[in-house]
Amino acid sequence: MVKSTYQPPPGALLPLSPGWTEHKAPTGHTYYYNAETKESTYQRPGPAPSPINPSMSSYLQHQTVPQVNLSDPAVANAFMAQYVQQQPHTHGQRGGFGPRGRGGFQPRPRPQPRDKPRTKVAIPGCDPWILVYTKYERRFAYNPDKKTSYWRIPEKLMPAILELDQARIRQKAEGKTGEASPEKETSATPAAAPQQPEPEAAQHDYDSSEYEEVEVTDDEDDVGGGLDQDGNPSKRQRTEDPANDGPAEFTEADIAAQLAAMGADYGDMEMGEGEGEGESWEEGDEGLPLSDEDARELFKDLLNDFNINPYSPWEKLVEEGKVFDDARYTVLHTTKARREVWEEWSRAKIQELKERRAKQEKKDPRIPYMALLQEKATPKLYWPEFRRKYKRDEPMKDPKLSDKDREKWYRDHINRLKLPQATLKADLKKLLESVPLSALNNQTVASHLPPQVAGDIRYISLDPKVRDPFIAAYVQGLGPQPEAGEVAEEDEAVKKAREERCKRERALQERERAVAEEKRRQEKKLQYERARLRDEERELERAMQVSKRGLHSQLVEGRAEPGS
Amino acid sequence: MPAIRPASKRKAPPDGFSDIEEDLLIFGNKMKDAQNTPTDNIPKHQAQWPIFQISHQRSRYVYELYYEKEAISRPLYEWLLKNGYADALLIAKWKKQGYEKLCCLRCIQTKETNFNSTCVCRVPRAQLKEDQDVQCVGCGCRGCASTD
Repeated sequence: MVKSTYQPPPGALLPLSPGWTEHKAPTGHTYYYNAETKESTYQRPGPAPSPINPSMSSYLQHQTVPQVNLSDPAVANAFMAQYVQQQPHTHGQRGGFGPRGRGGFQPRPRPQPRDKPRTKVAIPGCDPWILVYTKYERRFAYNPDKKTSYWRIPEKLMPAILELDQARIRQKAEGKTGEASPEKETSATPAAAPQQPEPEAAQHDYDSSEYEEVEVTDDEDDVGGGLDQDGNPSKRQRTEDPANDGPAEFTEADIAAQLAAMGADYGDMEMGEGEGEGESWEEGDEGLPLSDEDARELFKDLLNDFNINPYSPWEKLVEEGKVFDDARYTVLHTTKARREVWEEWSRAKIQELKERRAKQEKKDPRIPYMALLQEKATPKLYWPEFRRKYKRDEPMKDPKLSDKDREKWYRDHINRLKLPQATLKADLKKLLESVPLSALNNQTVASHLPPQVAGDIRYISLDPKVRDPFIAAYVQGLGPQPEAGEVAEEDEAVKKAREERCKRERALQERERAVAEEKRRQEKKLQYERARLRDEERELERAMQVSKRGLHSQLVEGRAEPGS
Repeated sequence: MPAIRPASKRKAPPDGFSDIEEDLLIFGNKMKDAQNTPTDNIPKHQAQWPIFQISHQRSRYVYELYYEKEAISRPLYEWLLKNGYADALLIAKWKKQGYEKLCCLRCIQTKETNFNSTCVCRVPRAQLKEDQDVQCVGCGCRGCASTD
């Protein structure tokens, strides 16, 4: 049946906010609908300040509580005030589990870059507080006592941090490397911290967590985009690291855990998939969603990983329900969106398959059938019997061969089995001789005979034990692959292209010749015209030469000339 | 819905049939199951519903493969139609505007109804009364207007 990734936390669920109703989607997921605002969501809408999650508190039972000197009444009060609302009966337990307590919190590789704590600086004047710088130059304030951390620096610490910054800038200006701060951070283990009665700090803690809820943007984390801490106390508690050496210990792992906890709040739904914590993570707990593109790619990866047949209908995918168990299924929030992505994916996949198939060389369907005949056919079976017996075999189902052909070849083969060996050998020799040297030559491997041979009835009628040495001997005696054969085998396209080119060149030559001819003719004409012009000029000149005898002489001359 | 001829009695399918053969077989098995389910304890008008639904799904499958995903060739599509894997008349309707999601041909056959109208499943959701759940008598369709 349809399975869901949504696992309701054991025990009582949080009560739904008024106006919300619970429904089951056709895919089996539970979703919530608000009839008034017409909103629907996968995320369980709890009442605004989230109450104690029973599964959470049970998890917290296994967590160690930081060791605090409870003998001091003020500290004890502050401590109780902090813990009593989440875990009223756990502060008696201590020690025990150590780092194993957070076993379920192995984060999977995330798409976004992972931040890491780099350095830490104790904030002077506000003793338990530590300022942690991360790999990406962000920083957050951390209180190892309360195990709380804030991207947004609490106002109480502001002046101290400002001072720190100024000191650092001054240091830089003076060219000193900041050696003082690492020293400070080692000395920043505030062993005496719990002794300080700090009702103010505790008071402030609640205030800050309150305003953390309101604050969404953060002036500090410009790198992390929309990252922010949601300040949900129960969530914060859940991701706490149990301190094994008391509250004073503030290790790198500790800070890393804090960061991871913060990271879990924004947009990384895969984080909460650990075995220990699985049930306390609700679906859609990811806060900010992944970018749309990422979500689509993730969903496509899911389809690829499950080897979904791209030709199958969507309904089959839903009915099988294999993919529901994967966290990536819920990356997209609506079934409609999923279906869209699926369609896009299947279209691309089918295209890819088509292209791959086009590249593959085609095989002669006769070859496997002939191999089957060689192996299975006996004169004891009639064709219908043979067909019935081996109808499950691949070559018998091949749609490219017709049943008629199969029958004919079977009968031929059976008849030929009765012939004497010498005839069969002679036939095979004839067959081999009929194959051109380009297909069968001394480089041919016995396992890759040309299809003209391997798909022929004469090839299989001889027993392989006799046939293979015979063919090997024949192939040995053949010459090498002829050059001409290579040319003949050249790609049709290449040949065509070459022909085209030849044709073009020939046409060009033709044209050049024609042009030259034309040019010559023009030249000739020009010269002829010039000669004529000269003649006329000469005639004109002669006409202009008028002697003393006047026009008469001209006329006489003119009369005499035609005669002469 | 003509019966699908057995594999031994028909012309060999064109290339690409092996890709979709498995899914078609699933549809075929579903159809056989639906046909063999006893209909003694269900209302008479509902007896045919699963048949219509499976037939619709299968036609839709072939239609999408050919027209939307372009996954199968024209000869294969025609072969599928000829061999009864899809309802050609229904697919012809899907190509028309306003009939993109039509559930079955009977639901637009106005002459078969008392008031010469189409089936209630053809009425767009927006025009129905609030929260009115319809399921048509002919094929059990819950609404197949294009705007839904």
